Amino acid sequence: MFYATGFHKAALMAAKPKPQLLHKVAGTAVESSPKRARTLSTQSSMKDAFAKYAEYLNNLNDKRERVVKASRDITMNSKKVIFQVHRISKQNKEEVLEKAEKDLADVTTRHVSRLVNELQGTDFWKLRRAYSPGVQEYVEAATLCKFCKTGTLLSLDEINAVLLPLSDPSLEPLQINNLDYILGLADLTGELMRLAIGRISDGELEFAKKICRFVRDIYRELTLLVPHMDDNSDMKMKMDTMLQSTMKIENACFSVHVRGSEYMPLLGSDDPGSFLSGVPDIEL
Amino acid sequence: MNSALRNAYFIFSHSLNPTSNPNSFPLILSLHSLQSTAVSRLPLRIKRQQQPYRSPRSSSFCSSSSMAGADADAPAASSSVEKQFVDFRAQLEDSGSLRDRIRNVAMEIESSTRLMQASLLLVHQSRLAPEVLEKPKAQVGLLKSLYKRLAEILRESPGLYYRYHGDWRSETQTAVSLLAFIHWLETGELLLHPEAEEKLGLNESDFTLDVEDYLIGICFMSNELPRYVVNQVTVGDYDCPRKVLKFFTDLHAAFRMLNLRNDFLRKKFDGMKYDLRRVEEVYYDVKIRGLSATRD
Repeated sequence: MFYATGFHKAALMAAKPKPQLLHKVAGTAVESSPKRARTLSTQSSMKDAFAKYAEYLNNLNDKRERVVKASRDITMNSKKVIFQVHRISKQNKEEVLEKAEKDLADVTTRHVSRLVNELQGTDFWKLRRAYSPGVQEYVEAATLCKFCKTGTLLSLDEINAVLLPLSDPSLEPLQINNLDYILGLADLTGELMRLAIGRISDGELEFAKKICRFVRDIYRELTLLVPHMDDNSDMKMKMDTMLQSTMKIENACFSVHVRGSEYMPLLGSDDPGSFLSGVPDIEL
Repeated sequence: MNSALRNAYFIFSHSLNPTSNPNSFPLILSLHSLQSTAVSRLPLRIKRQQQPYRSPRSSSFCSSSSMAGADADAPAASSSVEKQFVDFRAQLEDSGSLRDRIRNVAMEIESSTRLMQASLLLVHQSRLAPEVLEKPKAQVGLLKSLYKRLAEILRESPGLYYRYHGDWRSETQTAVSLLAFIHWLETGELLLHPEAEEKLGLNESDFTLDVEDYLIGICFMSNELPRYVVNQVTVGDYDCPRKVLKFFTDLHAAFRMLNLRNDFLRKKFDGMKYDLRRVEEVYYDVKIRGLSATRD
């Protein structure tokens, strides 16, 4: 009986998060001690076993919950980085990208780092569904920043190199898997489409064309990968959206190309007055 | 005609570049004359004029020059992009072939459990006899060897257990449910998780039976109980409902200790109460007619 009350006390003192379970475990211990002589051993062994499963499931669910929360924070803050990149214009390019990169570094150290401890060993794949959306958004933000800055594609190895110092050496470092990277890239084209349209209306046509070529390259490369992806249907859907985005950019570039002559002089404001100053020349 | 004029306008504006050279003057003259006279000759003239008078700024608008620009940039840009994707394709093809091997074993597991299930169905047709269980139990050895093969395949890529878990998950759940049912028929007790691992040879450190799979397997087993009770009573075993009800009540109570989330296991557990009720009904029917009185 002393044992039972001790156990109960321990349960009450123990951590708050799952008092219900601990109470139940304690309850079975209290009940079973006087009864044990009479009841079959099956019942108590079954309860003992299920107490273990319950603990396992609680730990797993708590962990999953933490991973989901981290993933949501990563998504939210990566979105902010993407919005920051969209604030770009001809005049403030450096300034805007600098802030975006700072914010991105912040996401890495504050939120992505939270995943490192949770995803050790087999949990990396077990909990993939819980963290995948966040990681994809993060890939999207990182690649968008990089593209705007250098016009090149940020590779998976480069991203993973950034993630290496997040964990202390005793732990396995968090390394994004190629599936999440590819899915993130597929989402990137949507953002690039917005960026391209924005740049065209701002007169940066050369930049828009560059985006167009870049998006085509990505689409072409991903076409080859689709059948090998783990979750095929998701990727197929993304490919459709990607094609839509690519075509939107192409159509915008087409419009400018075809009607370019009509408003080009006004857009080419970096050498002002070329059109207007030219008019009198003709009249004369 | 329209486009011709547009092109004319295009060249025309180009030629009015501040840095324009003396050559632009003749062009303007020619345009003036063209506007009034031979429009049809315009495209020809433009083609000839276009190249030499291209200003650097306007190059992006000009189809020929922008194509040239794209050709110049594209190989450099896409080769760095391409390299990575070639690697990805190789990696994904590797994991794809690994998955195929796993699926092949999973299919064999499936056919083995199907044989087991079919022979185990005989328990519904007569009173329980040890001989009935011989045939399904013969499959256990085969099942164990198949899981050993699976373990060997997965050992090649440590840590990836859960990446391919989905490919043999449902087969494993079925296997657990059958093993647990046989175990219960023999001993009247629940097959516990370590025992199930033992039977499937899944008790190695890096290759274990997932607890959720085990629990789902147990839920599958409990779906079988109402039918078993009904048929046992029909063939004259009137004590069966009492035993089953006792076991089932305990099992249900044990499951209620688990904090489940909204997933498949939760759904299966929620369905368990209907099976339990059915067993209770059978027990009631037998009891109220005094059929089980002799042993209760």
